[in-house]
Amino acid sequence: MSLINRQKIADGVYFNSVKDSRFKTMRITANLIVPLSAQTASANTLLLGVLSRSCRQYPDFTALSKKLSSLYGAELTVNSGKTGDRHVLSISAAGIDDRYAFGGESVARELSQLLCGVIFEPNISGGAFLSEEVEQERRQLFDLIDSEFNEKRIYASNQLIKYMCGNEVFGTPRYGTVESINEVTPESLYKTWQELLRTANVEIMYVGDSSPEKAIEVFTETFSSISRSPAEITNEIVRSAEREQSIVEEMELAQSTVVMGFRGGIAVPDAQTNAARLMCAVLGGTAQSKLFCNVREKQSLCYYCASRYDTQKGIMLVYSGVEGKNIEKAKAAILKEIEDMKKGEISDFEVESTKLALINAFRSSNDTVSGIESWYTSQLFNGEFKSIDEMSDEMSRVTKAEIIAAAQKLSLDTVYILKNKEEVK
Amino acid sequence: MNIREIRSDRAGDSYFEISHDSGLTVYVYPKEGYRSIYAIIGTNYGSINTCFSLDGGEKITVPDGIAHYLEHKLFECEEGDAFAKYAKTGASANAYTSFEKTCYLFSCTDRFEESLEILLDFVQEPYFTPQTVAKEQGIIGQEIKMYDDSPEWRVMFNMLENMYHSHPVRIDIAGTVESIAEITAEKLYECYNTFYNLNNMALCVAGNITVEQVLGVLDRKLKPCEKHEIRNYFEDEPYEIVKPYIEQDFPVMMPMFNLGFKERAEGVLDEKGLAQTEILLSMLASPTSKLYRELMDLNLINSSFAYELFEGPGYCSVLFSGESRAPKQAAEMIKDYITRVKTDGLDREEFEIARRAVYGDVISSLNNVSSIANSVLAYHFSNNEMFRHIDAIAEASFEDVEKRLSGMLDVNNCTLSVVKSPDSEV
Repeated sequence: MSLINRQKIADGVYFNSVKDSRFKTMRITANLIVPLSAQTASANTLLLGVLSRSCRQYPDFTALSKKLSSLYGAELTVNSGKTGDRHVLSISAAGIDDRYAFGGESVARELSQLLCGVIFEPNISGGAFLSEEVEQERRQLFDLIDSEFNEKRIYASNQLIKYMCGNEVFGTPRYGTVESINEVTPESLYKTWQELLRTANVEIMYVGDSSPEKAIEVFTETFSSISRSPAEITNEIVRSAEREQSIVEEMELAQSTVVMGFRGGIAVPDAQTNAARLMCAVLGGTAQSKLFCNVREKQSLCYYCASRYDTQKGIMLVYSGVEGKNIEKAKAAILKEIEDMKKGEISDFEVESTKLALINAFRSSNDTVSGIESWYTSQLFNGEFKSIDEMSDEMSRVTKAEIIAAAQKLSLDTVYILKNKEEVK
Repeated sequence: MNIREIRSDRAGDSYFEISHDSGLTVYVYPKEGYRSIYAIIGTNYGSINTCFSLDGGEKITVPDGIAHYLEHKLFECEEGDAFAKYAKTGASANAYTSFEKTCYLFSCTDRFEESLEILLDFVQEPYFTPQTVAKEQGIIGQEIKMYDDSPEWRVMFNMLENMYHSHPVRIDIAGTVESIAEITAEKLYECYNTFYNLNNMALCVAGNITVEQVLGVLDRKLKPCEKHEIRNYFEDEPYEIVKPYIEQDFPVMMPMFNLGFKERAEGVLDEKGLAQTEILLSMLASPTSKLYRELMDLNLINSSFAYELFEGPGYCSVLFSGESRAPKQAAEMIKDYITRVKTDGLDREEFEIARRAVYGDVISSLNNVSSIANSVLAYHFSNNEMFRHIDAIAEASFEDVEKRLSGMLDVNNCTLSVVKSPDSEV
């Protein structure tokens, strides 16, 4: 197992590194973490886009792209995501290891510098970002929001969270809203940037063979010159459903999508979190799961039927694509599988094979750069890092009784149905 | 049995090619320090092989989508499905059918030999009855409908239908609800017996593995196959496209497009041709290119913009795709740019940048056991070799790339496909 080294380099800023010589590439990500809020989600996401377009040294998109391409197709990517009630803004640089460069140049060092450059030395003038850069990213953010509507499975799960968590911070879309995106100006974005550098909790993740010393040095130096006041972030957990609601939307489609949202009653840092994950995997996480074997294979109702557990929020989602006339049948079949679990109808084979499958997935993640990065990133809010072997041991110790107890805590909150129009009578 | 080691100093890796006595070609790609193993077996048979003959016998035509149907059904054996067997070993298994091949795979970190035995058993022991065949129609029917609702999938197939007159690449891999209704157990056996011959297949294993471990299982499990002559028939495909434009209304907010240039299909490209084409396309349309910048500045594309060389037996084309609020304008601009570059010539600095970017991409892909195994298998079926491809990228010359451009991307032989919302004009 590749072990992680964590060090504090400034107030609320940590540098986490995994040194690993097996890979041909390296990757460094800066995660800037702030409270999720409807007021700032759009500006923060827009800022992320603008930062990754150019910087003082490479002042336009083409200059920056050329630099990346000549570093053997290196990548600079951004992501605006939610982890519980936290807005996680990530900027990553990835490229080949120095050993493979034609002329022996240090790709790792250049990429670390480039990452610092785009975060700390953006392309600004007179207390504002360049307006054409902001407009270009604003337009692309609108495109991104509209494209989430194109993919109906993504759209349906977004809609489910919107309705299920409408009164919670978590209901805020990660990209914010069209209105708040429109309110951003080049001047306000400059303030957003300064505020982010001052208040974000920063977690830098590095995976690679080359030494991360240079990157640590640059980040330490830069953050030491900023007066820091890291924001406190809370994460609300709704333990059980207070109502059961059903929302139906109709559209001209060939197939209907059903998404069911359950309150799981268990979330990080609860001791039963592993039991909840395992319970969800037994239900619909593998090709041997109850949903796959019974709803898909035996009843032939759908091509996909799966479940996913959000351990930060204690929310379980079940997804399925079915024919309009089979919606009620599929819903009943899914609920029956859950009722069976609550009654203890889980075989030893189901428990053991699901454990094997999960542990296999854990171990495999150690064989890719991005797998190692996400293994640790996903634990940033768990209070401590566990290695794959530690987590595998914990998982294998979960008992059937604990899985049944976790299933018994499930309560249905919201059903969202995207119904194909032709079937509506 | 013949074992050959293939090395690359550039990539710092090596792997083994084994011609097994059973007829199967086997590749073993050890990755030091890795814990996982990824194994994939494929047959040179995909959705386009719907008309064929065996050993000079009569021509057989089978329903569209049958290769994919067969993939679903092979997972089943007399005692239940293969997933249940893998459940005992902890391996994560899957399968896929593409235009030209069908593959079955698993990844594991433990009990590799048992998992490989499961894989070899079910690909060698078909079990279909009228009941099990009928059951699959519901599941596959829903799979087809899921793709019907995917604008990305539709925009591509609409484009292929307008590019190819008769080549079966124009037909959805899974077929249609109507065509799969014609599939019977007998037809499945007919396809199986033709294409699932070990001489027509290859296995690749990458990760925490040795040649001896793999051979131990193969020697025990493989039943030698007699070599047969398989002939695939494709109707003559003219050079010209069918129609230059098609659009479909869809519940989308962001219109999508595919602009496809039909190329002459003169057998699949070799390593050099592939390397030159990849560098050329990177020069023309990567985020570094002038074209990308011009399209962006006029708000005609966003970062979803992509390009692809799309080729296989009897078909070859270059696709540009993405989301755009004005796809017709974007397409015109791409065509104008290509015309301009063909007249003015390519830029040497851009060539150098693209050569490095394409090289870095391929080197990076060697990190990952699944991409290694999938690539090695793909190179096998196109008669290419991965490390020769890497060398060809590193050694590509500007002149060769320029020469390649002159023979492709005919702006008078391309077709645009658009998916848009019913209430918008594009």
